[in-house]
Amino acid sequence: MSLNLLICDDSGFARKQMAKSLPPDWKVDIHFATDGVEGINAIREGKGDIVLLDLTMPNMDGFGVLEIIRREDLPAMVIVVSGDIQPEARKRVLDLGALAFIEKPIDTDKARQVLTEYGILTGI
Amino acid sequence: MSYACAITEDQRDCYQELTNVAMGRAAERLAKLLDTFVRLPVPRVSMIENSDIRMAIQEVGQDSSVSAVCQGFAGSGVVGETLLIFKDTSFANLADMMHYSGPLSRQAELELLMDTASILIGTCIRGIGEQLEIDFNQSHPVILGQHCQTADILRSGNSTWNSTLAIEIHYQLENANVECDLLLLFTEESVNILNKKIDYLLD
Repeated sequence: MSLNLLICDDSGFARKQMAKSLPPDWKVDIHFATDGVEGINAIREGKGDIVLLDLTMPNMDGFGVLEIIRREDLPAMVIVVSGDIQPEARKRVLDLGALAFIEKPIDTDKARQVLTEYGILTGI
Repeated sequence: MSYACAITEDQRDCYQELTNVAMGRAAERLAKLLDTFVRLPVPRVSMIENSDIRMAIQEVGQDSSVSAVCQGFAGSGVVGETLLIFKDTSFANLADMMHYSGPLSRQAELELLMDTASILIGTCIRGIGEQLEIDFNQSHPVILGQHCQTADILRSGNSTWNSTLAIEIHYQLENANVECDLLLLFTEESVNILNKKIDYLLD
């Protein structure tokens, strides 16, 4: 069974950027969510083994998503991809259980580095 | 309503995302300076007519006394104006955070306004420019008014903006009564040039 990867961002442009930044030879099923509420639903449906999560979103922001994942102990490895590069934002998401933080705009090098560092990229 | 130029939904989304990245950088610099956390909103991108600018600005500082700065920018044929509008109730807190001592005179408030403006406007404009590969030059900032109503801002300034594309960012500091709005306004001619660059990114 292949991994399910969820890209959660309100911007279509950003979702595309994230999808394009992933290693092309990486075998994952990619799913998309356009805000935090959709994101949580997708994770509950098992579509988010790995989640690339934006912070600034309408309806429910990335902080809210992380809080629910923690409260409900949902099985998701979250990598935050955000333009909110305040040290405090980074600290908060890591405290809330995110694995890593990638500064926007994301690119292939940044994605590969983080995925490799946390042992998520396997078999390539 | 018809406009001489327009943006598609994909383009609007892209402008919003570029702004998102730029405003994050500005927030980081402000957060470091003030040792605080800036709550970032989803920026609002829209096409507006000249007469609507007045309404957009009035929405910003509804019923409260405000102070405002404007600053022009230009590069690669793209011309625009930024408008930073502060709620006057923000200054006492800002002064505390910047460790100002002594009474908060009009002059001191002016300095606070200019210092914050240079960070928020400068970083944001550079951030957007960088992503679009435009090197923006900025003109000197101009005070549009101190302790006035938003309606007065346009009356006193040269309200000849013929802009069509407006980007609005509402900054708020956490746990402090500091609030401001940053408005980026682009001229009509600029939008076509910007759209071409945006389309290149969307490709």
